[in-house]
Amino acid sequence: MHDLKMKYKGKKMAPAINAFHTFLYTPDETTHSGSHVRGADDLKRTMNTVIMALVPVLLFSVFNAGYQHYSAINGFPENFSLLEHFITWDNAWIGIIKILPLLAVSYGVGLLVEFIFAVIKGHEVEEGYLVTGILVPLIVPIDTPLWMLAVAVVFGVVIGKEVFGGTGMNILNPALTIRAFLFFAYPTWMSGDKVWVHEARERSEAILAGASNIDAISGETVLGYLAQNNGAAMEAKYSVMDMFYGFIPGSVGETPTLLILLGGLFLIFSKIASWRIMLSAVLGSLVMGLIFNGVVDQGWITETSKFHGLMSFEYWQHLIVGGLAFGIVYMATDPVTGAQTNRGKWIYGFFIGFLSVMIRVFNPAYPEGVFLAILLMNVFAPTIDHYVIRGNVKRRMKRLQNAVIHPKDSDGKAAELQAETV
Amino acid sequence: MEHIELFFKSIFIDNMVFAVFLGMCSYLAVSKKVATAVGLGAAVIFVLAVTVPLNWLLDKYLLQDGALVWLGEEYADYNLGFLSFILFIATIATMVQLVEIVVEKFSPSLYNSLGIFLPLIAVNCAILGGSLFMQAREIETLGLALNYGVSSGIGWFLAILAIAAIREKIRYSNVPAPLRGLGITFIITGLMGIGFQSFGGMLTGGDEAPAEVEDTTVQTIEEEKKEDLKEIDGKEVSYNDAINK
Repeated sequence: MHDLKMKYKGKKMAPAINAFHTFLYTPDETTHSGSHVRGADDLKRTMNTVIMALVPVLLFSVFNAGYQHYSAINGFPENFSLLEHFITWDNAWIGIIKILPLLAVSYGVGLLVEFIFAVIKGHEVEEGYLVTGILVPLIVPIDTPLWMLAVAVVFGVVIGKEVFGGTGMNILNPALTIRAFLFFAYPTWMSGDKVWVHEARERSEAILAGASNIDAISGETVLGYLAQNNGAAMEAKYSVMDMFYGFIPGSVGETPTLLILLGGLFLIFSKIASWRIMLSAVLGSLVMGLIFNGVVDQGWITETSKFHGLMSFEYWQHLIVGGLAFGIVYMATDPVTGAQTNRGKWIYGFFIGFLSVMIRVFNPAYPEGVFLAILLMNVFAPTIDHYVIRGNVKRRMKRLQNAVIHPKDSDGKAAELQAETV
Repeated sequence: MEHIELFFKSIFIDNMVFAVFLGMCSYLAVSKKVATAVGLGAAVIFVLAVTVPLNWLLDKYLLQDGALVWLGEEYADYNLGFLSFILFIATIATMVQLVEIVVEKFSPSLYNSLGIFLPLIAVNCAILGGSLFMQAREIETLGLALNYGVSSGIGWFLAILAIAAIREKIRYSNVPAPLRGLGITFIITGLMGIGFQSFGGMLTGGDEAPAEVEDTTVQTIEEEKKEDLKEIDGKEVSYNDAINK
């Protein structure tokens, strides 16, 4: 590898070769002059930490894919035991044949685009796609055709990131751009009650075509049931603990709230993700949920209203269904596209939670509004930052104006510059 | 309730920039700095807030079919609707002149930084669009017309504010040379449009029976497709307009 690297040094393909080299081996080059700040948390370390936080979710989703598939066919097991019904080879096999290709296509296509751009532009390959590549398969429905995913990944990486100059320059989260592209370009594959469980769609098509030897299976998500005012059917099927542990249908990796929570704590502990954004997003969604619950309690919304199902959903349960937890922990905290200032992060996170629940309830077309809420706040994050910074500048100008410089005292010591904090 | 619904609808759902792609010329040209963008946005809010109700009065008492009936019974058959373009644009031009004079008097720095784009508000498609949508959507009362003017102005203001902040942020980004300037701005606008899609479909549809939900998902999908097509058309039209201007 090293020989190859030397051979291609200064050539056009150098970035691609270098990328493989640093991926496989630790570079032995050191700089010799000048002073350096050494930090352990370079871009690669940051990305790897996020991936580590995502691995449990990915493993869970592999088993959940099979679990949902077989449960939809045979019915949910009566006495659920983790080892007997969940962690089985059959479940894992479904997960492996469905999720590994998604992961491979996502990484393959995305990194290919990155390599091409790096070679054309003549800079080193950036690590930015590592996290996006694992996020993408986790936020799409399980039966997404691979070619769709490939098209969307190309769109997301080129239009969402590379045209802005690569990693760290993008304004929208690339993973969410990919999800949004899929959602608006191929809506029938992205929503409804037939896409969340493996084979549900193929079976319903076969039945429509006249096949009679198979049963229809449907995997409506919790939110889907609620959007249809069918909360009773949902409660009969899934308990609150099911939602919390993630034994529910949904996008590949968005269901296991417990593991996402652990991942989130890990990210906060390792100081990769901002606890301010997570906390304020949780607060925002709770506030919006409470408002809706309050509206139902006041009796302003009747049973027949189409919003009743989602509005009367317990406010805190919004956090454990759908993609809200996943979005808050892994997407909203994206350091590039989120707000950069501390106060900005509070505002940004709060609105993500607030808008997610609002879109969920009010927008019949999208029972899952989290990714759109995050995209919308990505759009407004620079505005929030701008005004937070303006506010800081103004406050400090005022503080400077009010500052008093004391004359030297009798000892000849100058008193410290006293500034009034305004 | 009617007012609140119209307010949020015209800010977020029928956003002048992202839903109907109007007012793109000044939106693209004056969005390099946040301060200037705020100034122009405020001017657009003001002009819309004044012209839409004025044009509503014109429409109600002069232009609509049979609007002249207050002059006497013999005028009941008159329909001066063909004059609406001329009258609307005349109102708008007058109001823009007024705004220009006021801005020049009270904020010369803003006047200088807005430059040619202040008089150009007169031909800003968003302004005329506001009046024409007001006519086409048959907004019922003067209060609603005022509300519509202010809220679509706020929608436009939010759009230009957000893109100005984004453009300030990406000023030092390594954008590929062919895309610098307007190219990347168009791409940003498209991506922002995706963000604003989150509101698309909200507050529409009314009170359909919940039993029909199975069908409505398909319908909404089809509607979305149509909307997407419309959007593409709208974008092309406004882009052509921008070129023509």
